[in-house]
Amino acid sequence: MAISKTEIEKLAKLAKLSFSDEELERFTAEFDEIIAFADTINQYIEGGTEQIRSVGARIVSFDDLRPDEVKPSLPSEKILSNVEGHNGFFRVERSKK
Amino acid sequence: MNYEIVCGIETHIELATRTKIFCSCTTEFGGEPNTHCCPVCTGQPGALPVLNQKVVEYAIKAGLALNCIINTKSHMDRKNYVYPDLPKAYQISQYDEPLCEKGYIELDSGKRIGITRIHIEEDAGKLIHERGYTYIDYNRSGIPLIEIVSEPDISSAEEAREYAEKLQLIMRYIGISDCKMQEGSMRCDVNLSLRKPGDPGLGVRTEIKNINSLSFIQKAVMAEAERQADILDSGGTVVQQTMRYDEATNTVTPMRDKENSEDYRYFPDPDILRFSIDEEKIEEIRKSLPELPFDKLKRYVNVLGLPESTARQISRYRKVAEFFEEALAEGAGVKNAANMIVGTIFATMDTEEEKELFDIRISPAQYAALIKLADEKKINIGVAQATLQKMLESGKSVEEFIKPEDLAGISDEELENLCREAIDANPKAAADVRNGKEKAINAMFGYIMKKTGGKADIRKAEVILRKLIGQ
Amino acid sequence: MRMGITELAVKLRKREISAVELAKAYIDAIEELNPVLNAYVHLTFDTALEAAGQADQLLKEGDAPLLCGIPMALKDNICTDGLPTTCCSKILNGFKPYYDATVWGKLKKQGAVLLGKTNMDEFAMGSTSETSCYGAPRNPRNTNYVTGGSSGGSAAAVCANLAVYSLGSDTGGSIRQPASFCGVVGLKPTYGAVSRYGLIAYGSSLDQIGPLTNSVKDAAIVFDAIKGVDNRDQTSVDFDYGSSLAEYLDRDIKGIRIGVAEEFFDGINPEIKSKIEEAIKLFERNGAVIENIRIPALKLALPVYYIIACAEASSNLGRYDGIRYGYRTPSYTSIDDMIVKTRSEGFGDEVKRRIMLGTYVLSSGYYDAYYKKACLIREEINREFDAVFEKCDVLVAPTAPSTAFPLNCRRTSPVEMYLSDICTVPVNIAGVPAISVPCGMDSNGLPIGMQIIGRRFGEATILQAAHFYEQNAGEVVSAYEGGARI
Repeated sequence: MAISKTEIEKLAKLAKLSFSDEELERFTAEFDEIIAFADTINQYIEGGTEQIRSVGARIVSFDDLRPDEVKPSLPSEKILSNVEGHNGFFRVERSKK
Repeated sequence: MNYEIVCGIETHIELATRTKIFCSCTTEFGGEPNTHCCPVCTGQPGALPVLNQKVVEYAIKAGLALNCIINTKSHMDRKNYVYPDLPKAYQISQYDEPLCEKGYIELDSGKRIGITRIHIEEDAGKLIHERGYTYIDYNRSGIPLIEIVSEPDISSAEEAREYAEKLQLIMRYIGISDCKMQEGSMRCDVNLSLRKPGDPGLGVRTEIKNINSLSFIQKAVMAEAERQADILDSGGTVVQQTMRYDEATNTVTPMRDKENSEDYRYFPDPDILRFSIDEEKIEEIRKSLPELPFDKLKRYVNVLGLPESTARQISRYRKVAEFFEEALAEGAGVKNAANMIVGTIFATMDTEEEKELFDIRISPAQYAALIKLADEKKINIGVAQATLQKMLESGKSVEEFIKPEDLAGISDEELENLCREAIDANPKAAADVRNGKEKAINAMFGYIMKKTGGKADIRKAEVILRKLIGQ
Repeated sequence: MRMGITELAVKLRKREISAVELAKAYIDAIEELNPVLNAYVHLTFDTALEAAGQADQLLKEGDAPLLCGIPMALKDNICTDGLPTTCCSKILNGFKPYYDATVWGKLKKQGAVLLGKTNMDEFAMGSTSETSCYGAPRNPRNTNYVTGGSSGGSAAAVCANLAVYSLGSDTGGSIRQPASFCGVVGLKPTYGAVSRYGLIAYGSSLDQIGPLTNSVKDAAIVFDAIKGVDNRDQTSVDFDYGSSLAEYLDRDIKGIRIGVAEEFFDGINPEIKSKIEEAIKLFERNGAVIENIRIPALKLALPVYYIIACAEASSNLGRYDGIRYGYRTPSYTSIDDMIVKTRSEGFGDEVKRRIMLGTYVLSSGYYDAYYKKACLIREEINREFDAVFEKCDVLVAPTAPSTAFPLNCRRTSPVEMYLSDICTVPVNIAGVPAISVPCGMDSNGLPIGMQIIGRRFGEATILQAAHFYEQNAGEVVSAYEGGARI
């Protein structure tokens, strides 16, 4: 099942990625192969129409959920320690040359 | 208008838990930017969400109060989209297994507005756009929300407002949120379409987002219904789009195209296990719910005999209702207790918030003690009101202001006996009154006043005297 | 045989060597060999020496934990407060978390001496560690060959004696396969046995942190130290192992039921197959019962793994947008443009491929055919594993279909690379534990790894079986001469 350029562009938009024209060409070919590889699961005939509601069988009981007790937050200097904060805010210029 | 309004409302309500939904940061309002944060609510690499038990409990309370079925198993889904206020680039929400379903709210008219579902999710951070920069504060990121979706059963602007108002009242009552629309702890999105009466199909609907007051809900519904009606009347078709309501001009206009038909790629969040809650626990939570405002209203009117407007004013605020009921339990009479709350006490409160908090300096027992005096006519209403004001200001009990000597101390029974006494003591005057000499009654008045130190209720005495004399 | 944790601990307590001297020996070795091997990408020598000094203090006071003063390494996707953690990706260039991963916190508390962060495939996506933005690490056995991946640096460091032990992460084989390529021991614990808090996520329902070591006993010691439920990771499990696994390694394997599934041997290099069969015979000679079993659903394990892992990854990697940490593109026309450019410039090709695949299998119209179906097959695989472990105590299989191959191998398609995970991914899908131990060399002298797989929370059994093999098989891989001189 060959994937169209439009579909790849749609996916890229969702994934917030951009490809140059040559990248796109190379990528489309690779992606086709990857999809074909994924398609091999079609051999499996599924039984019911159950929705996937969880990963794995483990279910946690209401009683074991986290208690509503406040723990100290971190100071904003730490929160901002990997960027240049501005008066305690994260800041992004809306456009930059 | 020749069309039927078909309207549904989606409401987001901030839950008043102490901590955020997936981490133990405080939910306290305000604070310097990014001071109520941690790796989890700022989407740091390697951080993991941990679900808050109280959030589930509060959502179940909301579901029970809205007559919903509570699902005993539920899970969280990721809703994937990119926006700077969403630190993980996905919102943890619930897609196809909401915690509560299939409930209703009853309007005053008796009509029921269906509740399709209630689910839990997290809020995003706050963006501020200023002078070419976007500033981001994640203090509100991770604040727990419930989303309540109504069936499209609302058919008028008034009903829309009433629905939202009742929802607000109930949520405040059960104590899970302060539901302040202006502050954003309750936000409504209105979905609206029109159709010809009798037409079973549905028209194209628009969504008006983020309406932040009850009156704007009503106005927005009216404005949008008119706008759509105009389009349909002139033969056009309504475009499905997201709108916003502009208060200044009372118009509904399309919102700038944000993410139209975004594919959210929902899937169960692998970091949060599916959780279960047993029927016993749900019962426990149900029992912990207070009597709801409409049930109180009915009881006040039907059982206590209060007029509806008074009953409504008291039952509307949970703390007021509780104060009132405790005062009754302490022996206060219904009518006076109710009237003095609505009259005197409410007069000292300017805002809704004050009535919600009902933070007054006297206890129900102190209040009841005063009311009882009025009930027994030992003081008259004017005195009672004035005394109440002094009590509210000082927090002191009624004994501080009204000494035993001040009390009329005359019950109806006592008064009647006194009247008989007065007649017996003044047989000639009584005979004169019988024969038409009105003024003769003064003798008996005099007797009574002397005996009571001037405190008797003369008008009442007159009625009794005349009755007795007439026999 | 090279000194392991226990031997070094004895030396430290006897004051035959101090923790600082021990650290210095490893530091010297790293300075000598790392420029070629490229096992480490971030060096933390200053904090290591500080920690070693503190360890010496603790050792002097007596009653120090076993791991006190032992030099080690962490994979570059495990968060270390104040120290670089980049997943060997440009997009996390310069990132220093202000929080520790739970496992690192535990080890730090025991006095571990962290020498640095090790090389890996970018965001743990790969089987050779060649997608690292710092260039590939080299296999110490033959520096023209790959280490395997994605925990290639961790495996190389332990192999070349540049660390006594290291932690890696395993989503589809990323601890076991490089362990097998480099001839060291690698343990992937049961899903939920070790906290994932602070492990930069790739495939959330598959990821686990585990040790790479030079002996099974060392792997048990490290696992003992890092395991345990964590209230910051809801998927971690409060399982009572009863006792320290390192203390109960010696076990008579008579009667142990070893399952051999033919599905694991499909298309395996014949040299590898023969070494595994030799190992199985060793077990049999000593009383183990060999069961031939079938696990039919394994045929679909690879595509199921890639669909689920990439779906989760596409969501987990959405947060890398340059706003709160890491690389931010220098010029852009709008915030959306900034995000797109940052990600396109910051992510490597393999990461982009997997994000795109993940986006595809979750997108509307494809969710049912791919993601949902993969989850249903996963449940089937789990059922088959459960049934198998009714009849068997452990399974024995190859770790990888080949031994290490040359660096910069030209591949015709990315799928070729995925096929090398065939023996390891079923284990992650089922969430069961597995250990890779060296069991021989191929004709080029490159190590071969044998995988021993257990039931959920069955680490004790697989460690015992692995330890037994190690003790009785003799020298299966030639000793590596090099690295720290103690």
